[in-house]
Amino acid sequence: MGVREAVPLLGGYIPVAISFGLISTQAGFSTAETMAISTLIYAGASQFLFVGMIASGSPLWLTVAMTLLINVRHVVYAPNLAPWLPRSRWWPWLMHGLTDQIFALAHSRLPQLPESQRVGWFFGAALLAWLSWIAGSLLGAVAGEWLTSRWPLLGEVMPFALPALFVVLIVPRFTSRRWAAALSTSVAVGLLCTLIGLTNIGIPLAATCGAFCFYMVRLPETTTPDRGGRA
Amino acid sequence: MSLELWIGMLVAALGTYLIRLLPLLWMQKRLTRREANGPVDALPKWLVVLGPMMIAAVLGVSLVPRTPDAAGWLATLIGLGVTLVVWRRTRSLGWPVVAGVITFGIVVIVARAVM
Repeated sequence: MGVREAVPLLGGYIPVAISFGLISTQAGFSTAETMAISTLIYAGASQFLFVGMIASGSPLWLTVAMTLLINVRHVVYAPNLAPWLPRSRWWPWLMHGLTDQIFALAHSRLPQLPESQRVGWFFGAALLAWLSWIAGSLLGAVAGEWLTSRWPLLGEVMPFALPALFVVLIVPRFTSRRWAAALSTSVAVGLLCTLIGLTNIGIPLAATCGAFCFYMVRLPETTTPDRGGRA
Repeated sequence: MSLELWIGMLVAALGTYLIRLLPLLWMQKRLTRREANGPVDALPKWLVVLGPMMIAAVLGVSLVPRTPDAAGWLATLIGLGVTLVVWRRTRSLGWPVVAGVITFGIVVIVARAVM
């Protein structure tokens, strides 16, 4: 079930991974090195930054520090999922697959699943996403230039799967005017940050603004979101 | 990559993994300590709020089309509308996304041909 529900993520992962593979090889990394980066770091934006900074001759310590700084936003993901993770020795290993997109999907779906299915669901979804990222990077490293010149529109259309998926995940949480105002603020700030080129800081900044709005704005209806609502 | 670069990459990979793992271990300990109150109650209120805000932020960041011209924005707007309509009808995850992506593609092609 996790594999099936993570399929929409491929529309966003594969084109971006192809771009990464292409940029990485253009920056002087071999196909094997590109694969190693995608397999081990496995965090989109920070990988682009890593190869970009290395290629431009930045100090290694600064490159590593910036890579980690971009990924700091992941700190809040696992604690948010923890209440729905039944005891299993697999969770520490599965955390390698906890990307922005897998978090968004799991945060909506895990509460709706029986406890017995949650490890399997997460394993399937995270593994599919991880393998698609690695496969996309390989494709980009080997044939990225040919692919982007042959089907330029595909690389533009497929990434729309991500906003389409996220909108489906977030809409059930518009359960009151207070939540609607806070979530809309978060979406708007995230959009604005991307438009002005602050993509990397966009997610934590937008989420903070949304949370700030939630606590500051007191509107008449104040119900908590239906955590078990169907996505 | 030189040996130094390999080590740097491995440090970045390990650090990223720990950023994902350590908060889980912290929260699992916290949940174990407060199990009597029920798992959701043990979750700090700010985390309950921040989770959906992160998803909304990821949505906002991903809304900008690859080619942000008029056709791209129009396709985004109509694509999102169709996604929501199909979601209202099916209440599923897959079909709304498929419908949204197809709509986005059609609108981009038609809009570029017309404009």
